[in-house]
Amino acid sequence: MTAQITSGLISVLLAGAILYLVRRDHLHGSYALWWLAVAGAILLLGVFPPVIDWLGRVTAINYAPILPIGIGIGMILIRMLKMDIDRSRRERQIRRLAQKLAILEQEIVELRGGSAAPGDTSPPPAPAELPRIAGRR
Amino acid sequence: MAEVVRGVIAATGADVLVVSDASEDDTARLARSAGAAVVELPCRLGAWGAAQTGMRYARRHRYTTVLTLDADGQHHPQELPSLLAEQRRTGASVVIGTYSERLSAAKRLASRYFHLLTGIGVQDFTSGLRVYDRHAVRVLASRHASLLDYQDLGVLMLLRKNGLTLRELPTVMSPRSQGGSRVFSSWRMVARYMLHTTVLCFAQIGTGRRARLATTGAAA
Repeated sequence: MTAQITSGLISVLLAGAILYLVRRDHLHGSYALWWLAVAGAILLLGVFPPVIDWLGRVTAINYAPILPIGIGIGMILIRMLKMDIDRSRRERQIRRLAQKLAILEQEIVELRGGSAAPGDTSPPPAPAELPRIAGRR
Repeated sequence: MAEVVRGVIAATGADVLVVSDASEDDTARLARSAGAAVVELPCRLGAWGAAQTGMRYARRHRYTTVLTLDADGQHHPQELPSLLAEQRRTGASVVIGTYSERLSAAKRLASRYFHLLTGIGVQDFTSGLRVYDRHAVRVLASRHASLLDYQDLGVLMLLRKNGLTLRELPTVMSPRSQGGSRVFSSWRMVARYMLHTTVLCFAQIGTGRRARLATTGAAA
């Protein structure tokens, strides 16, 4: 019974932390859904460990405790794959944005008709102009 | 730098664009004073990221032909007219200026290996001295080309996948005036590059042949 209390406590803490983060809007859209599902699974397995034994019987795996560990590692791998896919997508976006930014900057220089270079070599615009350009204040 | 820009203008009369890959020296100022338009990238995107910026600039400004050459003086602007003539003569989408005398043993071996792997028989596949036509520029300016790192086999495979034709033309080049080849500088870099490109080949293998079959099928 003590083991069940320990695992129950840990799972409630983990699930609580995830719930808190989702509620605080630190996790976005589909990520929030994924993590809520993870929190649910942790709660279920942690508070009712017999579920694991039942799962072992259903799947005919002799040593049932390996089941959640195996599934967990599998899920982590899938998650990491998804992260790398996302990172590649983001890298593509960043590269294209940088290119577009540089091209537009060149066009601004051309439109101004000056030989003034963009970037750090150009004289900064007068400070008084900045708020008006940015449309703030 | 300024010499190269002036050389290109003198040899071809073309509009010149210099892409500065976040360089901090006065490349941009020198190039501008020599009569080139200059695009300055806000962060380093590498050789291909910079070249692709040029492709996107070309599309935006509706240029139909793009010539690329390195600004370090290894490519001679005088060679450009013959590359253009070769393209006009053969109707190829891409003409690559190669300099076979410069090829080291390692590079020859690499090119033979990649020929086996991809079926692309370009000797000097890292040469940045190239002519691209409108179709090639459209393909290379697209999102599909944005995750490439070098102006090399990845680019050529993508072009072939889209059914475009490649030609090689022997040219004369100088040794680089500043720095050596970024890729073929040390054995570790070569190994890294070979592995990287091999993976790229495996990702692309077969797709070119299927695409070609599809186009002949459509024509028949």
